[in-house]
Amino acid sequence: MTAPALTVENLSLSISGANIVDGVSFAVAPGEVLALVGESGCGKSLTASAVMRLLPDAIRQTGGRIRLGSDDITDWPERRLRDLRGQRMSMIFQEPQAALDPLARVGAQIAESLRLPRASARPRVLRMLEDVGISDPARRIDQYPFELSGGMCQRVMIATALIARPIVLLADEPTTALDVTIQAQILDLLRRLAVERQTAVLLITHDMGVVADIADRVAVMYAGRIAETGPTEAVFARPGHPYTALLLASIPRLSDEPKSKLAVIDGRVPAPAEFGPGCRFAERCPLADARCRAETPPLLPVAGNRLAACFHAGRVA
Amino acid sequence: MNAPLDLHDLHVHFPGRGGAPIRAVDGVSLSIAPGETLGLVGESGCGKSTLANAVVGLLPPTSGSVRVLGTELVGASRATLRAMRARVQMVFQDPVTSLNPRMTVGEAIGEPLLVRNLFRGAALRTEVARLLEEVGLRPSQAGNYPHQFSGGQRQRVVIARALALRPALLICDEPVSALDVSVRAQVLNLLVELQAQHGMANLFVSHDLAVVRHVADRVAVMYLGRLVELAPRDALFATPRHPYTRALLAAVPEPDPVVQRAKPHVPLTGEIPSPAAPPPGCRFHTRCPLAIARCRSEVPAWRMIGETGVACHVAY
Repeated sequence: MTAPALTVENLSLSISGANIVDGVSFAVAPGEVLALVGESGCGKSLTASAVMRLLPDAIRQTGGRIRLGSDDITDWPERRLRDLRGQRMSMIFQEPQAALDPLARVGAQIAESLRLPRASARPRVLRMLEDVGISDPARRIDQYPFELSGGMCQRVMIATALIARPIVLLADEPTTALDVTIQAQILDLLRRLAVERQTAVLLITHDMGVVADIADRVAVMYAGRIAETGPTEAVFARPGHPYTALLLASIPRLSDEPKSKLAVIDGRVPAPAEFGPGCRFAERCPLADARCRAETPPLLPVAGNRLAACFHAGRVA
Repeated sequence: MNAPLDLHDLHVHFPGRGGAPIRAVDGVSLSIAPGETLGLVGESGCGKSTLANAVVGLLPPTSGSVRVLGTELVGASRATLRAMRARVQMVFQDPVTSLNPRMTVGEAIGEPLLVRNLFRGAALRTEVARLLEEVGLRPSQAGNYPHQFSGGQRQRVVIARALALRPALLICDEPVSALDVSVRAQVLNLLVELQAQHGMANLFVSHDLAVVRHVADRVAVMYLGRLVELAPRDALFATPRHPYTRALLAAVPEPDPVVQRAKPHVPLTGEIPSPAAPPPGCRFHTRCPLAIARCRSEVPAWRMIGETGVACHVAY
């Protein structure tokens, strides 16, 4: 395997004493898409903020390292990080209209991270607009975000993020606010650009359909920890963690029996204050026993080149 | 027996900038039988929520007919509307904004019963307890406030409130879209169960085709204010006739990498045009891979192919 573009090692984050991200590790190779998937509150977006070194003030990093290529950026000062963002590491968000500056022309926003004089930036911006599939770039380049549709704004944001050729792109629910036909276009675009430009993509999503569509590998998060990680096809074909298995079974599919009973995960995600010493899924897990409630299961290899944090991984059906 | 819902040539227009009205719903006819769930799908701006809001009377129709159990609601008197509104209840997408944060959930569920003088005092409390149990909550939770519940539980409260008046027609507008995946299944199971028990008709509005397929008996597909296809569920998903329906189905990312990656990737090009200036002829022709000259000038008439109704010159 080529050296990873992004490495997160043992990341732990806490808010007023509660461990809301606990020992999260993963690496993303150039040109690879890794999906961090989970339900609201699982810590996937906070993990992305920690990677960007943009954590909210209330949240403290209590452990772990972040490496970009071979650089450990964990303790870099804000001044150096600022040079990094948009250059070697970029991010796109769920609401493209909210993320773009309403008062700046599309071209100016895309050119900003190039740090070139306007005249010399323009041809590169035009090429980038074309590359993200915007028709009539010569006209669009001088328009404002309100003149564009949601799908086009997301293309503009992708252009803004990628024009400086970053080695890592963080995409936080990039298609959640878009319609399905537009989502399909944007996912195809992300996939193509990742491969062509050899950008490592960390995709944050709650949607297993999106994961199945474009992720090479997946890490399933639950209550601040990685429950399971591995190649997408292997994880979907034979989940190694009961949470993954139940989550997949609870989604209505086009191949299901209509009106049949969907699998349900009983109870609810524990609040950070309720985290016990054991597996955080134990209270909702059909396989849980006394050991699960007392000890934290480590992420260990299971069949199919995967890791699962479950004492009963072999019994997950 | 009169249908719980019968729409005929319904139009809902809004004043637009520069004079041209926004034709959010532009001539829709459909009906729902007792006990039937009609799924209404389409992308944002297609008019599906506007249609739902017009049916419950939250938006005034511009023209056309909305009949609930045979009673015409367009142009009806206040007394008729008030009486009929008890028969039609709605569940919205966001359970947080659907509930008054200063009312206990028991008060919220009891409100429609109290307003209509159906129950009071101890009988009201008993009825609220029964409704809470029916949606899988504990009667002892009646005194709690919405913020003490999770999103899925709040949606259960909203459903209990909608069921309180035993409506003939339940309208659900994206009822599970704001919920987490694991909670979504609980609420979908509940809706399917309740409908089987109560036999009410259900208009289920959603952008999620897999969810609609799971709950609906028939499915209507809207594009830019018009119906493009309406068919029994299995016919629609097995043999979609309209090119837009086919494109929508192809675009749904399936939670199975083997299936998903084997699917032909033919993403629909272009964007949805503005409903203030819809394209002439078939409104889908600007994005349609099958469009011919006729599609650009002539509005396709509604026609039947077997059990499927479709508005397309080319579909067969």
